[in-house]
Amino acid sequence: MNDATTSTTVDVCPAEELPPGAQRIVEVGGRKIGVFNADGHLYAIEDRCSHDDGPLAEGLFDPERKTVECPRHGSLFDLETGRPKTLPAYLPVETFSVRVEDGVIKLEVR
Amino acid sequence: MATPQVTAVPDLSGIKDGYEYGFHDSEKDYVFKAKKGLSREVVEEISTYKDEPQWMRDFRLKALEHFEARPMPIWSGGHMDVIDFQNIHYFVRASEKQGRTWDEVPDDIKNTFDKLGIPEAERKYLAGVGAQYESEVVYHQIREDLEKQGVIFKDMDTGLREHEDLVREYFSTVIPANDNKLAALNSAVWSGGSFVYVPPGVHVEMPLQAYFRINTENMGQFERTLIIADEGSFVHYIEGCTAPTYTTDSLHSAVVEIVCKPGSRVRYTTIQNWSHNVYNLVTKRAIAHEQATMEWIDGNLGSKLTMKYPSIYLLGPEAHGEVLSIAFAGKGQHQDAGGKAVHVAPKTTSTITSKSISKDGGRSSYRGLLEIAPGATEAKSKVVCDALLLDEHSRSDTYPTIRIGEDNVDVGHEATVSKIGEEQLFYLRSRGLSEEEASGMIVGGFIEPFTRELPMEYAVEMNRLIELQMEGSIG
Repeated sequence: MNDATTSTTVDVCPAEELPPGAQRIVEVGGRKIGVFNADGHLYAIEDRCSHDDGPLAEGLFDPERKTVECPRHGSLFDLETGRPKTLPAYLPVETFSVRVEDGVIKLEVR
Repeated sequence: MATPQVTAVPDLSGIKDGYEYGFHDSEKDYVFKAKKGLSREVVEEISTYKDEPQWMRDFRLKALEHFEARPMPIWSGGHMDVIDFQNIHYFVRASEKQGRTWDEVPDDIKNTFDKLGIPEAERKYLAGVGAQYESEVVYHQIREDLEKQGVIFKDMDTGLREHEDLVREYFSTVIPANDNKLAALNSAVWSGGSFVYVPPGVHVEMPLQAYFRINTENMGQFERTLIIADEGSFVHYIEGCTAPTYTTDSLHSAVVEIVCKPGSRVRYTTIQNWSHNVYNLVTKRAIAHEQATMEWIDGNLGSKLTMKYPSIYLLGPEAHGEVLSIAFAGKGQHQDAGGKAVHVAPKTTSTITSKSISKDGGRSSYRGLLEIAPGATEAKSKVVCDALLLDEHSRSDTYPTIRIGEDNVDVGHEATVSKIGEEQLFYLRSRGLSEEEASGMIVGGFIEPFTRELPMEYAVEMNRLIELQMEGSIG
């Protein structure tokens, strides 16, 4: 079996606990992942800035532009692609599939 | 007509040998001078005074929070800790309006720029000039034919007013407000600087020049420059700076962001000649997209302490970056200069050449970063740092950092430290040169890789400034 294709689905929280504009961090198997609700669209990215490996998902979330700003040095990350839109980060961070199923937000972690 | 009031500072000895720009003008006709100190009120006052859009006001206030929350960088070795941020004027406006001709500039300010040779240089060999005096740009002009081709060369305040969408798209994307403590300070209180946009395919053959002059004591100058070179375009931007000699300190902390779009080339030349009471703490960074070229030509002669490391992020395949830096550290000076090249894409190339001269107890440092990210295959880079020590009391340090995350790359690093050799001196003196002339010639040869990259008029000026620095260095 190829490990890269193995994924685990975890429950994040009931959908009503993450309303539009909200963000939260969940821990899955020792990894921290940020989950964001931008006007009803859900996004998930790893909670690690690719610039200096500091925390990312607790940063300023802009639901309109679908970005989160690294709280340490200000790199702006696109939540859809995980790519930085501004320096000093230049490498993308990992993104994850996230959906609502039976009223619960489900996160798929590879 | 008002009589120009220029007060010469009579005695510069002991502060800097031969610094000829240490005079200052009267402030009697100034329009506005903020009280000393940094606070939310001062930041709001600047924004209100400039009648800015709300997003820029919010940006400034957020930046102030970042500045206040951050400690001074540890790596600075405590050299910045002595700066008293509450003993600085953060915004000083000398003139009511900006001149489109030099006749529209107040007499005493025009007189100063005449002494600095700016109007004459503009007539002879420049495509455009911006002259900043204290916090704002007092004169700005660009050749009409370039304007017709769509080239924008404005001061940053006007750029924001007239091209808000373009500014908003790129502003702080290369250097975010909380990139570092000094960038946060600049973001909170920025004023003046240049906004340059060069349309696709347009080559600005003659340089654009910006000149920055501080006049007030305990002044903080925080210009903000943004240059966008669109696809296949070229521009050469030159900046110079001077300040009066005072016994108390001033602060210059600029942010310069450059975007080189695919196939474009930007050359940014600096001849930094602040007086010896200016802390010069500047963040300069460029991004180069596919097949673009970015060149930093960075000369540091003046200031008390300079900390400046022009950076290039090579984001697109086959992008090229060059940093050519020289620093001259005399008595009481610390020139902490260098450069950074970050290779992100395949087949990117860079060279960093740093040359420093230390004399009369001056200290120069090279601080650099070469980083090759995973995926930047076939990247090539060469870093060369040469230091010349002119006496036993002076000092030179090198702090190179190299991070390589890719196997298939070609990286070289060379560093030398040397003194002027007795044999070299003997040879030149046997040809009839005095010891001072011989030393000057050796130093001139040492920095020749820098001066040869300057337009002729600037190379002549650079050599003259070096000669002034060298005066009295023997015996």
